[in-house]
Amino acid sequence: MSLFWIVVHQLAEIEAMAASKKVITREDWEKKLKDVKIKKEDMNKLVMNFLVTEGYVDAAEKFRKESGTEPDIDLATITDRMAVKKAVQCGNVEDAIEKVNDLNPEILDTNPQLFFHLQQQRLIELIRNGKVEEALEFAQEELAPRGEENQSFLEELERTVALLAFEDVSNCPVGELLDISQRLKTASEVNAAILTSQSHEKDPKLPSLLKMLIWAQNQLDEKAAYPRINDLSTAMLEDPTV
Amino acid sequence: MSNNTNSTNGHSDRDLGLWFLEQSRLGSARVPTDMDEDEEAPTELNTINSSGGFLVVSPDKLSAKYTNVNLHGHDVGVVQANKPAPVKRLVYYFEIYVKDAGTKGQIAIGFTSESFKMRRQPGWEANSCGYHGDDGLLYRGHGKGEAFGPTYTSGDIVGGGINYASQEFFFTKNGAVVGTVPKDMKGPLFPTIAVHSQNEEVNVNFGQQPFAFDLKEFEAQERMKQQRMIEKFSLPTVSHGIVRSYLLHYGYEDTLNSFDMASKTTVPPVHIAQENGFDEQDVVFALTERKTLRQLIRNGEIDSALGKLREWYPQIVQDDKSATCFLLHCQKFIELVRVGALEEAVKYGRMELAKFFGLPVFEDLVQDCVALLAYERPQESSVGYLLEESQREVVADTVNAMILSTNPNLKDSQSCLHSYLERLLRQLTACCLERRLLSGDQGEAFHLHRVLNSCKKARC
Repeated sequence: MSLFWIVVHQLAEIEAMAASKKVITREDWEKKLKDVKIKKEDMNKLVMNFLVTEGYVDAAEKFRKESGTEPDIDLATITDRMAVKKAVQCGNVEDAIEKVNDLNPEILDTNPQLFFHLQQQRLIELIRNGKVEEALEFAQEELAPRGEENQSFLEELERTVALLAFEDVSNCPVGELLDISQRLKTASEVNAAILTSQSHEKDPKLPSLLKMLIWAQNQLDEKAAYPRINDLSTAMLEDPTV
Repeated sequence: MSNNTNSTNGHSDRDLGLWFLEQSRLGSARVPTDMDEDEEAPTELNTINSSGGFLVVSPDKLSAKYTNVNLHGHDVGVVQANKPAPVKRLVYYFEIYVKDAGTKGQIAIGFTSESFKMRRQPGWEANSCGYHGDDGLLYRGHGKGEAFGPTYTSGDIVGGGINYASQEFFFTKNGAVVGTVPKDMKGPLFPTIAVHSQNEEVNVNFGQQPFAFDLKEFEAQERMKQQRMIEKFSLPTVSHGIVRSYLLHYGYEDTLNSFDMASKTTVPPVHIAQENGFDEQDVVFALTERKTLRQLIRNGEIDSALGKLREWYPQIVQDDKSATCFLLHCQKFIELVRVGALEEAVKYGRMELAKFFGLPVFEDLVQDCVALLAYERPQESSVGYLLEESQREVVADTVNAMILSTNPNLKDSQSCLHSYLERLLRQLTACCLERRLLSGDQGEAFHLHRVLNSCKKARC
């Protein structure tokens, strides 16, 4: 090879290096991972936060004993919150409303949307149980006045009442209201409102941190090639593709 | 009892327990933390390179006054802070109070590079930017300003800041943000103030006094912005499985049973395990033994724990100079100190700990342990961390990891050390740190500890 071509070749290499991203080998990356300081008690807190927020009251109690981690909320309030949630999930909406008010009457007073959704759920349950007359009466007396205050409430009310127009609700366009997912949606709305009223975050921190991991890896992708964790459920490091 | 007789496991690599030695000292104040507050921030005005003769800096180096009569554009009284704005954080911010706007009110606040010409208004020259009081304009790198905010004069408090997340400068007047501009300058940036007409006088506040501007709230809002963006990512349903694997990994058996029980009755039931790729068999390994030992250690019953280990896993404790034995002996010593059995502690220390003196990896912890004896109230001493619950937890975690390492089906020795959760958190932290490193070291790092203790009331 002539000297000329060697120089050209080297220049091309330098150019390629400048344009390409920094490459971090597995060995270097593992060293960086090792240098990170994570305290066990912080991980325990993160797990406790998950148990508490998701309502695993027995597990939280056991975890307090087994790991010495203090929950960031009075565990007794979890039981009440879960009872409300469960009542909605089982379709006992009246029972749920009563329980929420026992817990803290301000929750529904200050949250008209949540109250409307609970009443709507109550209407759905009446229709599900074939209590047509009762359902109509309830819609007119309890829900219609609220619809006048708020356009979106009115639309939802109309959508719900439309259930009555179909003999076979399983095939009708608004049939999804009768689905279990509607109950779960309402239940998680109540759950969130109760947590908020207790000055607690309505979502556990763990999922946010996992999302942050996805985001942080994407961000770093722009600047470097490094071992990634692509499958969160196995936490397996995968070698960089160069 | 799963009594493993056949497993020395062929692992010739270094003692896994050594990893926990480092963990055991994380609580010590003598170990540097990796929080970034080691960066020095400006504290006063730099009187060495300030434009001599045009302004006078007060003895406390926190105010400047223009004493001359200004004649042209090259006799500005400029003064920089003694240090550049720190970069390893979300926001840097400082304020000035206009004590006297002088005859023309030609005051400026901004940021300049180290080599800035100290007779020119910040913003008039390259690599500088400044918000000027007399016209309310923002100057960036040349003599023509751009429309920005209101003018300011005597009695006003004006602030300048760098938002490293958005890569912007921002300025405030009397506690409210006036506006932002892109930060297009690189390298260290010095907080800078300028005065340019007779009797103009400003006081500068580098944070020694409370700011008029609510910086904490600004930072919270900024973090919230990032949070909102992150929340948009969709996440496969892995949280439940990750928590479960954590409980399995550390042998929190009672918690695990309650968790599984509750998971079955939730609506809808949570489906976990196998289909999520969790390899159950490997972690269920010796669950009950691990739980029992953890309980003993957490109760401070180190002798019983050692007894059980000798019975169930003799291979773990056969080498009395291993990190695991060392940590157990240290803990026994600590427990004796806790109950005030100092004489017995001394005897125990001579018998079991003295041999670790002079061995580099063990020395720090031995010294800390022995130091407990020096204090009447060891809890309040610099080695008080040893008496905390978390110290027992580390010892329990060590034993747990060692038992996991005796699993004949073990594929990767690292998996004994770290739960999935920990690996994910390490990856998250490392990614954030590396990104910052590749962005000129600017911005805030990720700290699990801060996330856990932040904004309980925030509605993200």
